[in-house]
Amino acid sequence: MRSTKQEDQRLTRLRAADRISAPEIIQALLPTLVRQRGDRLLGQAPALTAGFGRTTDGLGLAVLGIDRGHDLASRQQKNGGALTVAGYRTALRVVNHAQKFGLPVISLINMPGADASPESERWGQSQAIADLIMAMGQLTVPNVAVFLGEGHSGGALAFANANRILMLDDALFNVASPEAVAAILHGQQSVSAAIDLLPMTAPELQQRGLVDQVVAHTDDQLVTKVIQAVRTQLAPLMPVSAAQLIAEREAKFQRFVAAWPLEKSE
Amino acid sequence: MSHYPKSGTWQTCRACGRHVHQSQWGQWRQCPYCQHWQRLTARQRLTQLVDPASFQPLPMPEQAHDALAFPGYQEKLTTASHQSGADEAIIIGTAKIAKRPCVLAVMDSHFMMGTLNTVVSRRLQRACAVAQRRRLPLIVVTASGGARMQEGLYALFGMNLILAAVARLAAAAVPLITVLTDPTMGGVSASFAFKGDVIVAEAGAKIGFAGPRVIQQTMPAQLPADFQSAEQLWRHGMVDAVVARPDLRAYLQTVLASYAMGGNADAID
Ligand SMILES: [Zn+2]
Repeated sequence: MRSTKQEDQRLTRLRAADRISAPEIIQALLPTLVRQRGDRLLGQAPALTAGFGRTTDGLGLAVLGIDRGHDLASRQQKNGGALTVAGYRTALRVVNHAQKFGLPVISLINMPGADASPESERWGQSQAIADLIMAMGQLTVPNVAVFLGEGHSGGALAFANANRILMLDDALFNVASPEAVAAILHGQQSVSAAIDLLPMTAPELQQRGLVDQVVAHTDDQLVTKVIQAVRTQLAPLMPVSAAQLIAEREAKFQRFVAAWPLEKSE
Repeated sequence: MSHYPKSGTWQTCRACGRHVHQSQWGQWRQCPYCQHWQRLTARQRLTQLVDPASFQPLPMPEQAHDALAFPGYQEKLTTASHQSGADEAIIIGTAKIAKRPCVLAVMDSHFMMGTLNTVVSRRLQRACAVAQRRRLPLIVVTASGGARMQEGLYALFGMNLILAAVARLAAAAVPLITVLTDPTMGGVSASFAFKGDVIVAEAGAKIGFAGPRVIQQTMPAQLPADFQSAEQLWRHGMVDAVVARPDLRAYLQTVLASYAMGGNADAID
């Protein structure tokens, strides 16, 4: 058992204001990014940095980055990383565009759960998430998801329904935030303890076969290391056919879920 | 837990809080005082929708497991099956509505609030596959609070895996008709519920992504009385129709007749 103090440090580190962010990686990955903004209908989401471009060695890529902001002002502007409906719909547009031009899609994730607001309900948050999950699943180009920080619930899944999943070693991916997990236990467990109740850490999810690569979160050269890991995972996917990419993507998640026992117990 | 079906002859109406005698709910399970629709079990829903004795269950060998030893989950599962009389939050099968064959999946909010878990996910994928092979329209009646947190990512991935099966159904031009009933929230709302070719909401149902309590935690604004109601969704263009419970069967009959797919209800899988 970890002490309470150490557990608190896990969340503090995860949510630190100066944590590596999607825009930093995108700037290094695609120095001449053509930023695609807005869903052409409702508006745009400042938390989403998305578009397409070429790496310095000429590889065309599309990116979807979600970040929570690095100070009070930017966190407010970016809604703490909780995407609005316009954000999901913009991402859908970027994904469809990437498919049209044969660009692999890289998503960079650090977002809490869904945006709990009447506006998001009004404009169809459910439909927007479902559409993006399906579009990512049916992509005829490779997609790679990187968890830079937290990603929870269907909103994160919409960006992580991918051929490969990478995580920083202290990132989290779960059905719900540690806070929400603690809440269903009516406070019998601390938020920090909730992290250990369900498999949501990078090492745990790698051991269970979901995560393909874990990147050590060191201060030295982190952006370069993340980009190298993405390129490593992407390379073997490049020659794979469209039909095979779709089938393998689904098989990845089926394999993970297949470890769950479903037979009748005695 | 007074609204569970096995709890006796008197039940409390969830909407108005009055005590209602078993006989007063009537055939359609409606509160005689406030007209609130009582939530149906999957079996009650089937009885109301399909031709008598036409329902043939598909194989449902799966059983829920507490594979992550999540605190309290095993007890919740045991309680849920005792109180609901169901083995999980969904039943699947083939049936006929006014002699037209279809594949039917009915969720049950009486079993752990109809939450989407590994079992529900596997059964829904089977329902999609059977509908596709037999070329029969698939009707899914949703009733769910969302993904079942106690199964972690194993439950969450029901969303993308069911959507993958739904994509195959769409590619094969087999219609998906979703019937959204109270409640349809979270991971069910944000996956297959709104992927119907035709989407009908039952009158009075609450449908949305984030629950009103969660929304009010983050922004303490007064939400309108019809917030996330079937009627509000219809006004906002999110569903094709809002249909009162007694008319649902006739509505589905019209939809099935309009697709005019004979299918092969007796095909061997
Ligand atoms: Zn009442």
